[in-house]
Amino acid sequence: MGFLQRLGSAFSAIIAFLVGVITLVSLLLGGNPGLFGDLPQAADLAALLALPAAVLLRLVALVIALGVLIGIANLLLTHAQRLMRGRALSAALLGSFALTLFWYVARAGDTSLLEAVQLPIESSLAALLCLTLVGGAARVIAKRADIWSLLFVLSLLIVLLASLPWAELEPLRAWRDWLLRVPVSAGTRALLLGIALATVVAGVRIALGQDRAYRG
Amino acid sequence: MNDDFNWLEYAEPLAEAPPAPRPSALQRLRARFGWLRLPGLMRRLRLPKLRRRRGGQNADAGYALLEARDERPISQLDARLLALRERAEPAINAEAALSTVDELLTTPPLQEKPGGLISAAALSQAQRQQVQMLQDIVGAPAPAAASGEPARLGALPGLTLGGAPRLLLAVSMLLAVCLPFVASEYVVDELPPSDFGGDRADAAAAFEQLNTLTGTDYVLVALEYGPTSAGELDQLTDLFLRQIFAQRAKPLIVSSNPIAIAHAQNIIKRINGSVAAAGLKLVNNADYFLLRYLPGGALGTRELRENFADVARVSARGELINRNFKALTDMKLLLLVAESIDVMRNWVEQVLPASQRLTLLAATGYAAQPLAQAYADSQERIIGIIAGARDAYTYAEKLEAAYSTFKPEGAPQAPLPQPTAPPLTPAPESEIEAPALIATVASPVPAAATASPTPLASPTVPSIPSVTPPPTASPTPPPSPTPEPVWLVEVTSEDTARIRRGPTTVDDILQLAYAGDTFEVIGTNGDGSWYNILLSPRINGWIAAFLVEERYEAGGATAADASASLPREQTLLRWDYRASLGKNQPRLYQVNPTDTSIDWEYVLLRDRSLEAPRLAALSLGTLAAALIIVIGSVVGALRAIGGRRQPPASEAKS
Amino acid sequence: MDATTLQVISIAFVLMTALLVYTARYQQGRRGRRRNWRRMPALERLPGWTARSIEADKPLHCAFGGAAIGGEHTAAACASAEFFHHVIAGAQQSDSAPIVSTAAATTLPLAQDNLRRAWEGNALSRAQWYPTGERSLAYAAGLTAALQDSDEPAAHLLAGSFGPELALLLDAADRRGQGSLAVSDQLEGQAVAYAMADAVLIGEELFAAPAYVSEEGRAGIDAAALDAWRGLLILFLALLLLFNLARALAPQNWLIIVLGGAALLLLAAVLSRRG
Repeated sequence: MGFLQRLGSAFSAIIAFLVGVITLVSLLLGGNPGLFGDLPQAADLAALLALPAAVLLRLVALVIALGVLIGIANLLLTHAQRLMRGRALSAALLGSFALTLFWYVARAGDTSLLEAVQLPIESSLAALLCLTLVGGAARVIAKRADIWSLLFVLSLLIVLLASLPWAELEPLRAWRDWLLRVPVSAGTRALLLGIALATVVAGVRIALGQDRAYRG
Repeated sequence: MNDDFNWLEYAEPLAEAPPAPRPSALQRLRARFGWLRLPGLMRRLRLPKLRRRRGGQNADAGYALLEARDERPISQLDARLLALRERAEPAINAEAALSTVDELLTTPPLQEKPGGLISAAALSQAQRQQVQMLQDIVGAPAPAAASGEPARLGALPGLTLGGAPRLLLAVSMLLAVCLPFVASEYVVDELPPSDFGGDRADAAAAFEQLNTLTGTDYVLVALEYGPTSAGELDQLTDLFLRQIFAQRAKPLIVSSNPIAIAHAQNIIKRINGSVAAAGLKLVNNADYFLLRYLPGGALGTRELRENFADVARVSARGELINRNFKALTDMKLLLLVAESIDVMRNWVEQVLPASQRLTLLAATGYAAQPLAQAYADSQERIIGIIAGARDAYTYAEKLEAAYSTFKPEGAPQAPLPQPTAPPLTPAPESEIEAPALIATVASPVPAAATASPTPLASPTVPSIPSVTPPPTASPTPPPSPTPEPVWLVEVTSEDTARIRRGPTTVDDILQLAYAGDTFEVIGTNGDGSWYNILLSPRINGWIAAFLVEERYEAGGATAADASASLPREQTLLRWDYRASLGKNQPRLYQVNPTDTSIDWEYVLLRDRSLEAPRLAALSLGTLAAALIIVIGSVVGALRAIGGRRQPPASEAKS
Repeated sequence: MDATTLQVISIAFVLMTALLVYTARYQQGRRGRRRNWRRMPALERLPGWTARSIEADKPLHCAFGGAAIGGEHTAAACASAEFFHHVIAGAQQSDSAPIVSTAAATTLPLAQDNLRRAWEGNALSRAQWYPTGERSLAYAAGLTAALQDSDEPAAHLLAGSFGPELALLLDAADRRGQGSLAVSDQLEGQAVAYAMADAVLIGEELFAAPAYVSEEGRAGIDAAALDAWRGLLILFLALLLLFNLARALAPQNWLIIVLGGAALLLLAAVLSRRG
C-alpha cells in the first residue's frame, strides 16, 4: 500500500470518525433541555447541540436523493454492457426507459404508463409470488424434515384456516390469536432485539472508524 | 491427448483401482451419466445449452461437479490444478490404455437413495477413499448423512415440485380464485360484518375520527406502498380519501416511495370519475396536495417532522403550494397506509414525537395485521388499524351507512349547474400578484362548522353549502348582525381528555382532546356530569364535566376547528402553475364560490359489485393454499419416513 | 419513562457498546486465535458453493436486497458488505467474477467498493441495481429472469433486507439447482428464507457471519461485542422473569428466591462458558 493511499485512508477514517461522533453526540444530547437541569441557557444549549445532527442528516437525505441518479447511470451502463454481449432483454429495458422518459416529459407528468404497464405487471408478480409462497410452504417438510419445520407448517395452517370466514372454524381463531399474541410476538421481539443490538454495535464500530471501507 | 481435461480419468488412478469383480463406482457413474458429456459436444457445435431440472442437493453431488469439470480446457487451469494434474499423469495414461475394460464389464444402473448420491451407492472402502479424495480436491461438503444433518429429500427427482405438481398447484389456485367471479352460486355468502364490533373498537374509533373532520381540516395521508401491494391497499386508500373529501377536509399526500405519489394521482383520477356526475372536479393544490417524495426512508420521515413547512411548500411536480403550513400540528390527523410493520414503526417513531397532539390512523395489508395490531396496542397514539380486504368491506359498509341519507339518484333530476370555471383553467375575475393576495387571504374567520350543529342522530344530512368547483374554502355562513351566545366548554385537564360515544366511561372513545381545546355544547346528561359536545356538524360526543370549564361566547369559534391554527380563506383561491411557468412570481386567480347547491357527497359513489366475489375468491384461494400445503407436507413427511426406514444401500449389499 | 431518562439510558448504552467494541478489538489482537464460536450450520455449506464457483466457472451472486445506506437498514448493508467481502475473496480463483446486486441505489457505491477490494480476478464485473424500494418485486423478477438464465450463478448469497419477494429468487434458484443462503432483517423476508432457502442465517447472525468466513481477527469484533450484549440481555431478562415469578409465588421471601436464582443463573452462565 502506497504512502498516499495510506494517507487517504487515514484521512477518510478521521472524517468518518468525526462526523460519526458529532452526529452521535448531537443526537444523544441535543433537543432536550431537561438533560441540562437548571442551567439558565439549557434551552439554547439543547438547540445548539441538536443543530449539527439536523444539518448532517439533511445532507444525508440529499445524498440519498442523488443516489437514484447513480442508480440510473448504473442500470443503463450494466444493460448497455449486457446488450453488447447479445442479451436482447437488455435492449427492451433500454428502449422502455427511453420511451417512459420521453412520455413523461412530452406529456407533462402523465403517469398513465405507470398505471397501464408497471402496476399490472407488478400486481401479476405479486400473484405469482403468492403461488411461489404456497409452493414453498408445501415443500418445507420435504426440504427439512424436522420438528421445527412441522411446527412452522402447523402454525401456518392454523393462521391460514383461521382467516376463513366460516363459523365452524371459530375454535381455530382462538388458537390463532394465542399463537400470534404469545409465540409469534415473542419470536418477533427476540429477532428485532437481536437485530437492534447488532445495529447499534455495527453503528458504533463504523462510527469509531473500525470499518473496512476506511482501510483504503 | 485432447485439450479437454478429463476429470474422471484423472480422479481414478489405475494403480489404486481395486481389483473388484464389479466396475468401480466412478465407472458406473460414467456409464450412467455418460450423456453428461453432451454439453461439450453442443458447445463445439455452438448449440444453446441444455437445461436440466435438478434438485438443490443433486447440484452439490458429484456428477454436477463432473459435468462442470468436463467443460474446462487445460489452458484455463491454474497452477495448483496443473501441478495436481502432472502428478496424476501416469495414472491417466495407464487408464487410457485399458479403456476397453469398461465395455467388457456390465454396468448396472446406479440407484439413487436418500442421503445423497455418493453415500447411497454401494462403495467399497477403497472406492470411498477415492470419493473422499475427489471431495477434498474440489472442496465439496461431506454427504449430508455423514455430517449428521437430516436427510434432504428435495434432492430426489420425484420430490421436487417441478413440472406437473407445480402446474397443478397453479391451476388449482387459479380455479379457486376465479370460480366466484364466473359462478356466483359458489360465492361464499359469509360476508364480513357491516360494523366493527367486539375487539375491533379501535377500527370503529378510526372511522369516527375521520368522520369528525370538517372543511377546515387538513389530513396528512402517507401512502407507503408500492405497486406490489396496490391490489390490496388501493381499496383502503380510495375509501379514506373519499371519506376525507366527503367531509370537505383536504388531504396532503406524502410518501417515501416516488411511485406511490404518482399512483395516488391515479386514485384521485378515479374519484374524480365519481364526482364528475355532479359536475365537480377535485383539483390538485386546492382540494388535495401531492407533496414531494421523501428520500431516505426513516431520514425522510424525520425530515418531514423537522421541516414540515419546507416539505409542504412544494408539490410533487415542483409547484408551489400556497398554504402557509407551519408545522405538523397544522394537520388534524395522520393517516398511514403502509405495506409493512417496519414502515409503520418508522412513522410512529420518527413523526409522532413532533407533537403530543398528533394521532395516527393506520391501515395495512392482511398479512401485516397481526404484528401491526400488536404494535398498535402498545402505542396509545395509534387510533386504530384497518387491515386488508375484509376490513375494507366493513369500512365501506359503515361509510355507506353514515351517509345513507344521501340519494345520488335524486340529484341528477334537477339539472346540475356546470361549474362556471373549470378548475385548472378558470376564467380569472381578477389577477392579483401573489404577495398582495396572500395578505388578504389570511384573515381568521370562524369556520362553517358552527353553522349547522346537527348531531349524528339527525335523520337528514345537513346541507352544508358547497362551493364550486371544489369546496376549498370552508363554507361561510352569512354573517349575523347579532350573534347568539354559544355555549362552550374548554378542556382544562393537563392529561389527555377522552371524548366518548356516550356519557359513561365504558363507551367507545371517539377522539382525544387536549388542554385548551374548545367545543360547542349541545346538552348535558341527567346530573350534569357529562357534556354532550359537537365534534363536527355530523358527530357529537361526550366529555366528563370535571375535565372542562364552561363558558359562553358571542357567535364564536367552535370546537371542531379548535386545533386548526390555519388561516381561513374567505374566497376560493387557486394558483395556476401553468400560467406562472416562465415567470418569477406565481399568479393567483380569484374565483367566486358561486354555486351552493351541489352535493359534494357524490364523491362516495363507488362501484361495489365486485366486492363480494373478490372476498369469496380470497377465501377459496386461502382454502386451496391450505389444502396444497397439507398435501405437500404429508407427501414430504411420508417420503421422509420411508427414506429413513430404508437401510443405506452400502450396508445392505455388504 | 420521560425523555430525559430515555436519553440518559441511550447515552449509557452507546458508551457501553463503544467500550465493548474496543475491548473486543483488544481481545482479538491479544489472543490472536479464534474464540469458541457458536455453531452456524448455514455457513458450513459455503465452501462447497465456493468450490463449485471455482471449478465450474460459475459466478457467485451476492445480493443486498433493499438494504440501503442512509436508512434504518444501513447496519445490515454494512454487515452484508463485510460478509460478501470475505466470500468474494475466497472465490478468487474462479474465472467468473461474482455478481453483486442491490435494490437500493445508495448501496451501489458500497457494492462496487466491495468488488474492487475483494476481487482481484481477471474478469471485470459491476455491481447491479434493480429498481427500486424496500419491497421490490422488480428487483426479484429482474434477478430471476436476467441472472439465473444467462449467468447461471453457482449459488446465491442473499443477505441484507428482503421482503417476501425473496421467495421468487429462492424458488428459481431451487429449480435450477443453484445453492442459496438467505437472511433478512425484515420479518417477512426472514420467514420466507427459513422456509425456502438451502441454508439460512437468522436475524443478527448476519452481523456475526463475517467473523466465521474470515481469517482476520478484527472481523470478530462485531461477533464478540454482540455476544457480550446478548449475554447481558438474556441475563437481564431472566432476572426480570425471576423477580416477577418470585413476587407472585412468595411475596414474603421473594428477595431470597431472586438472589438464589441469580446465583444459579450466574453459575449456569459460567459453566456454559467453560463448556
